[in-house]
Amino acid sequence: MHRIIKRKLLRSARISSLYIIVAGIGFIIIFPMFFLFSFSFMSDYETYSEWPKPLVPSFRAEFMIDKDAEGYHLHIYNKADGAFAAFGPLFFTRAGEDLENLQKFIKRQANCAITPSGIGEQLDVVDKEGRVEFTLKKEFLANYILFFQVTRDAPAAVMRSLMVAGFTILISLSIGGMAGYAFARYYFKGKNLLKLSVLFVRMFPAVTIAIPMIIILARMGLADQPLGLSFVYSVGQISMNIWITASVFMAIPVSFEEAAMIFGTNRVGAFWHITLPLALPGLAACAMYSFIGSWNEVISAVVLTQFNPTFPVVVYKSLVGTQGQINLVTAGSVAQALPAIIFTLIIRKYILQMWGGVRV
Amino acid sequence: MATLQLIDLAKRFTKKVWGVRKMDLEVADKEFIVLLGPSGCGKTTTMRMIAGLENVTRGTILLDDRDITDIAPRNRHVSMVFQNYAVWPHMTVFDNIAFSLKLAKLPHDVIKRRVRETADMVRIGELLKRLPGQLSGGQQQRVALARALAVKPKVFLLDEPLSNLDAKLRVNMRTEMKAIHQQTEATSIFVTHDQSEAMSMADRIVIMKDGKIVQIGTPDDVYFRSADMFVAGFIGTPPANFFKVLCSYDSGGIVLKHTHFKLEIDAEKYDKLKEYNRKEIILGVRPEDLLIASEDKAVFSEQILVIEPQGSHQVVALSFEGSIVKMVIPAGIKLNHGDKIGLDFNRERLHFFDKETEKRIILRQHLV
Repeated sequence: MHRIIKRKLLRSARISSLYIIVAGIGFIIIFPMFFLFSFSFMSDYETYSEWPKPLVPSFRAEFMIDKDAEGYHLHIYNKADGAFAAFGPLFFTRAGEDLENLQKFIKRQANCAITPSGIGEQLDVVDKEGRVEFTLKKEFLANYILFFQVTRDAPAAVMRSLMVAGFTILISLSIGGMAGYAFARYYFKGKNLLKLSVLFVRMFPAVTIAIPMIIILARMGLADQPLGLSFVYSVGQISMNIWITASVFMAIPVSFEEAAMIFGTNRVGAFWHITLPLALPGLAACAMYSFIGSWNEVISAVVLTQFNPTFPVVVYKSLVGTQGQINLVTAGSVAQALPAIIFTLIIRKYILQMWGGVRV
Repeated sequence: MATLQLIDLAKRFTKKVWGVRKMDLEVADKEFIVLLGPSGCGKTTTMRMIAGLENVTRGTILLDDRDITDIAPRNRHVSMVFQNYAVWPHMTVFDNIAFSLKLAKLPHDVIKRRVRETADMVRIGELLKRLPGQLSGGQQQRVALARALAVKPKVFLLDEPLSNLDAKLRVNMRTEMKAIHQQTEATSIFVTHDQSEAMSMADRIVIMKDGKIVQIGTPDDVYFRSADMFVAGFIGTPPANFFKVLCSYDSGGIVLKHTHFKLEIDAEKYDKLKEYNRKEIILGVRPEDLLIASEDKAVFSEQILVIEPQGSHQVVALSFEGSIVKMVIPAGIKLNHGDKIGLDFNRERLHFFDKETEKRIILRQHLV
């Protein structure tokens, strides 16, 4: 009896410690991303004036206005301190200019919208009672909107990035897929060496070949253009896609195609009717890799673009720029990560097939 | 309505590797031919050449006197059942069967009728809407069969179609496929390495070895008149036993001398053996032609090594001179391993092979 209990205890201890370790690793991986995400919804005030930082961004901000001989004073509730703190100008009056400046200040610093007349109404209460506390709803996506307003190049950069990703998928999947099919189906001399050698291009860091690349692209007239950039990305992606698609095609028995050839079609028809539909999930997952690879790439893009940067470059520059505001940068980063995340979620059930499992 | 001729057919894979060295075969209309041989003997390669999946190195394939050697597979009017079924997993059973009909642009109702007919023939009529993944191996096999039957081919090729099925299903499918063949009367070529499958299904068996035909004949031919030691040792469960004997002929008759026994045989009947006087020849005996004999009549006696009961009969293995001799005895006889039994030969059914060439020594008189 004792032995059974002991064994059970030992078992549960082992399982618990495993879960603790796994949870710890998971936390280390997920926490920075969570913080990034959380930051992207914080106002300037939360970002820079509250310490310790809140884990979750607030949905509303509390304000307090009181008055003395100088005029009115605006305060904001600092959650870290647990008290109201002075906010904005030392004092202000009922003058229209003052109220307008105050409205802008509240919008910029606290991401809250209030009209000058709205402030006026609150001031009426102050006049009557000496002080007023009011709560404003935070505009949740203010950072995102601001990011795309401030970095004026951002919307165009998103379009360019999509173009680069699209071209990269098109080029790398068509060439890589065809090569992968050949590697999977045909025997020829030096096949393994060739297959291995396509990986060599991935062994050089992007920066080291960026300078020669830009010279080549300039000669082709494609420097600082989405198509040119997608050529550079395709070089790496093709080799990756060859390996992935080769394993996808290898998992589809040759006899499927042979049967199709006997039952009324030729090799091309067999590919279209049989192999392609079966390989499609794997190819889709392959496309996902190409998309993420080119969408997120920043190092080559920084070197290879000048006036037509891609979106990651814009985000990167906003980070290192003089006016870098951390909450805006995080908003940009999340905006950049979002398409890749969505794409991955859509395609995730095919990822297993990418490594050569044909699901029937 | 189809005859198939293979003339001097050969396939070379690489410089030194031959798939098929030389193949001459005539398949008559409605015939069920089985290509039989150990793995690597070229039987599947031959079939793939007939289907057009493999280029021909040398020779000609004639189908109804039309040269189809270099014609694309789809234009050959042949259909094939693959070893792994090759049923397309992304299509329903209906679409699988209808694939070739749709490509042939047949009218919709014709396709429907034809699919239903063939599906009913192989008894998968109620599975037409399923995907292959939802079917058992045996059912997938039937889909592959139906797909091949639906095109009404001139030649029906079957590449080890039963080897992936479990033993019981395999035996059932054997019967069913033979029945389907009798119904459709399509000229069929069946590849297998299982000799019992070949024996039970074939009109004629083509036994191959190392890319060459060793013997072509009916199941009776290859069993009772095996062309050489390879065939005798390949056909039959268990296959034939061989003994190296010295043949001596004098006025008394023919005596076969083995190191452990001496066998006198009728000189009249085995007249041809006189040519082998004082030469060593190989004596082949089928397991059922070894008989248990009483001590005084026994040619030799030996201890039983293993007994394998088979229900209807028993297989008794004896260790004889370093090799194993197997015999088949009726089920009723009670024997234990270790027992010493006396053995005699059924002298009506002895096979002789030349020691050098391993070819059958053809006696004047056929023994059946």
